[in-house]
Amino acid sequence: MKYKKHHYSVTLAHYLSAAILFLALAVMTAFSRDAFAGHYFQPRILAITHMAVLGWGTCMIFGACYQLIPVILETELYSTGLAWASWGTLLPGVISLVYAFWVFEPGICMQTGALLLLVSIILFTLNIYLTAAKTKKQTIQEDFIFTACLFLCFTALIGATLVFNFTMAFLPQGQLHYLRIHAHLGLAGWFLLMIIGVSSKLVPMFLVSSYKNDRLLQVSYYLIVAALIAFSTDSYFFGLNIKTWFIAAVGVAGIGCYLVYMGKCLRGRIKKHIDLPMKHGIFSFILLIAGTVCIPFIIYYYLRHGQLDIRFTFIYGIILIMGWITALILGQTFKTLPFIVWAKHYEHLAGKAKIPMPADLFKPGLLRVQMITFIVFCLSFVPGCAFGLALLTGIGCLALLITAIIYVTNVLIVVFHKTKTYDEL
Amino acid sequence: MMNFDISDKHAFMKAEALETLRLVIDPELHVNIVDLGLVYGIDINEAEKSIHVAMTLSSSYCPMGESILAAVKNCLEKHYPAYGADVELVWEPAWSYDSITDEGKRQLGLEK
Repeated sequence: MKYKKHHYSVTLAHYLSAAILFLALAVMTAFSRDAFAGHYFQPRILAITHMAVLGWGTCMIFGACYQLIPVILETELYSTGLAWASWGTLLPGVISLVYAFWVFEPGICMQTGALLLLVSIILFTLNIYLTAAKTKKQTIQEDFIFTACLFLCFTALIGATLVFNFTMAFLPQGQLHYLRIHAHLGLAGWFLLMIIGVSSKLVPMFLVSSYKNDRLLQVSYYLIVAALIAFSTDSYFFGLNIKTWFIAAVGVAGIGCYLVYMGKCLRGRIKKHIDLPMKHGIFSFILLIAGTVCIPFIIYYYLRHGQLDIRFTFIYGIILIMGWITALILGQTFKTLPFIVWAKHYEHLAGKAKIPMPADLFKPGLLRVQMITFIVFCLSFVPGCAFGLALLTGIGCLALLITAIIYVTNVLIVVFHKTKTYDEL
Repeated sequence: MMNFDISDKHAFMKAEALETLRLVIDPELHVNIVDLGLVYGIDINEAEKSIHVAMTLSSSYCPMGESILAAVKNCLEKHYPAYGADVELVWEPAWSYDSITDEGKRQLGLEK
C-alpha cells in the first residue's frame, strides 16, 4: 500500500479548501466576539459552528480519508470520480449554508446548501462503503469508519430537516430539542468514531508501537455506539432526564477505553522522540478529556433548571470543535500532507540522490509558533467565553487568526514544493 | 542481522551491497533500513546479472512501503549499473524491536 498518486489532486483540493475555510472561520470568529457571550442558538454561532465542522473538520477528514482509508483497509479507493463529486457538492454546500446562517435567511440558499451537503455526504459514504466491500479482512477500524459515515448521514439528514423546518414548521417540538441529537450524532457519531477508527491504526504506525491488542477498541466501539443510540432515542422522546446520567457514563467509558488504548500505544512506542505534529495530537486528547468533563455539569444544571447548562454547553462545543478537532487536524495535516507531496516528488528519486525527507517539506519553526498560538487561543478563548471576559475572548480571536495564517502558509509551502536534490548519493 | 559466508564468492559484494543500502532512509523514522533490521537477505545471480533483496517493513499497511521498496531498487541499480535489482517483500519472520541494530536503537533514542 502507499500514498496513491492518482488520488493526489482530489486530496489536495480537500486540504487546500479546508485550510482556506479555516482561515475564513478565524476571521468570522474575530468578527463575532460578542456573539460568544450569548446563547449558542443564534445566526453567527450557527454559521461559525457549521464552518468549523463542515468546511474545516469534515472537508479535511474527507481529503485525508481518500489517502488513508485505502491504507487502513488495505485496498484501493473505489472511485476518484465519486470523491470529486463529493468535493464539488461539499464546497458550494458549505458556502451556501454558512452564508445563509450568517445573514439568517432560512430560504432557498440555506435549503440548497443543506441538500448539497446531504448529497456530498451520501457520495462520500457510498465511496467508503464500496471501498470497504472490496476488502476481505474485517477489522474494528472498518467498523468505526463505516459507522461514523452512517452517523454523518443521519446528522446531515436531521440537519437538512431542521433547515426546512425553519420555513415549514412541520416538526412537533422546537429546534433546540432536535439540535441536541443533531449535534451529538455529528460530534460523537461522526468525528469521534472516525477519529478513533483512523487514529487507532495510524498513531501506532507513526510511533512504531509494539502494542497490538484491539480488545479495548472493540469495547470502546460498542460502548460509544450504544450510548449514542440510547441518547438519541431517549432524548428524542423524553429530553434530558435522570437516565441521561447513565447513558453519558457509558459513552464516557467508551472514550476512556480509547484513551487507555492510545496510552498503551504511546508507552509501547519504539520511536521515543515525539515530533511536533504528534504533540498537537497529544494536546488534542487533553482537550477531548476537558470537553468530556463538561458533560456532567451540563446534565446537572439542566436537570436543576439552572441557567448554567447553556454556558457549559457552549464551552463543551467550543472545546470539542475549536479545540479537540482543530488541534488534531492542525497537527495531523503535517503528518499526512508532506508524505503525500513527497511521494509525488521524490519516490522516483529515492535511493538515487540525496533528497529531502517528508518532514523537511514544511517549516518546523512555523509549526512550533502555530502550536504556541493555538494553545494561547485555547487558554484565553475558553475562559473568556465561560466568564464573559471580552479581553480574553479578543486575545483568543487574535491568537486563532494568527494560528490560521501560519497554518495556511505552511500548507501552501508544502503544496507548492518544488523538487530538489542536494547531491548525488 | 545478516550473516555472510566467507567461502561464498559473492560475500564481499553482498556485504558491500548491504552497506550501500544504508543510504536508504525510512522517511518516518529517519533511520536507514539496514539499522532498522528491515533487510533480511541479499542474493547475487552472476549469470543473470541480478541482485535480489529480501526485506520487510515495520508495518504491513505502511503508506510509504512502496517508496521504500522503490528506493532499494533505485539505490542498487545506481551503484551496480551492470546489475538489475529486484526486491521481495516478506513478512516472515515478523519485524520487531529486536530486529533493530544497536546503532539503530541509538539513533531512535532507545539506548544511550
